[in-house]
Amino acid sequence: MNRHTYLRAYLAGIAVPTVFLVIVAAVFTLVRYVYNFPIPIERVLVFPMAFVPNVWGLWNLLYAVFFAPRHVSLGIFGGLLPLLLAPLGYTVAHLLQFPIPPHVLQLAPIGLPIGMILYYLAWKYLVGSLNAELGIG
Amino acid sequence: MRGNQSNQDTFDDLREELRGALSPLGRPELRRDLWPLMLRRLEKPPVGVPWFDWTLLALTGAALVFFPVLIPALLYHL
Repeated sequence: MNRHTYLRAYLAGIAVPTVFLVIVAAVFTLVRYVYNFPIPIERVLVFPMAFVPNVWGLWNLLYAVFFAPRHVSLGIFGGLLPLLLAPLGYTVAHLLQFPIPPHVLQLAPIGLPIGMILYYLAWKYLVGSLNAELGIG
Repeated sequence: MRGNQSNQDTFDDLREELRGALSPLGRPELRRDLWPLMLRRLEKPPVGVPWFDWTLLALTGAALVFFPVLIPALLYHL
C-alpha cells in the first residue's frame, strides 16, 4: 500500500476530530439554543469545525513525511499540537471579539497540560490505530 | 385462465427487461481468500495500555472534575 501516502495520512489525521466534531457541535448547540447561554458561541464555531480537523490532518501528514521515518513517537508528536492550537484558538476568539471568561484564561496553565495529555492519548491510540490500518508510519 | 396466461407473459417480459437492465457481475468471487487474514487478525494480541497512560487519563479526569470550566475550552480546541 505505497500509493497516495500523503492523502492517507491526511485522512487518518482528519478522521478523529471529525468524529468528535458531532459531539462538540451538539454540545455547543444545546448550550447556546436550548439553555440560552448568553455568549455567542456560533461566532467562534468555525475554529473547531473547520480549522482544527484540517490541522490534525496536516499534522499527521507532517508526521508521516518527516517524523515517522525517524521513529518519533506519534503520541508525543500529537501531544505537542495544543502548543500550536491554543494560541491560534485564542487569537481567533480575540479577533472575532468573543468574550472569553477571565477564569478560563486564569486556568490556562492547568488547561494546556490537560489538553496536551488528552492529545497525547488521542494521537497515540486513535490516530495511531488509523495510521496502522492505513499502513502509515 | 386467459387472464392468468396474460399475467404470466407480463411477468416474463418484466423479468427479461430487468435482467437486460442489470449488467452481469464480472467477477462475483473474491480475488483471494480473506479467511487466513481474518484468523491472523483474531490471533493478534489486544492493544495493551501501559500503566503510565492509565495514570495520565486518571489525572486528566480528576483535573476536569475539579475544574469543569475547562471542558468547553478543551472542546473548542478539539
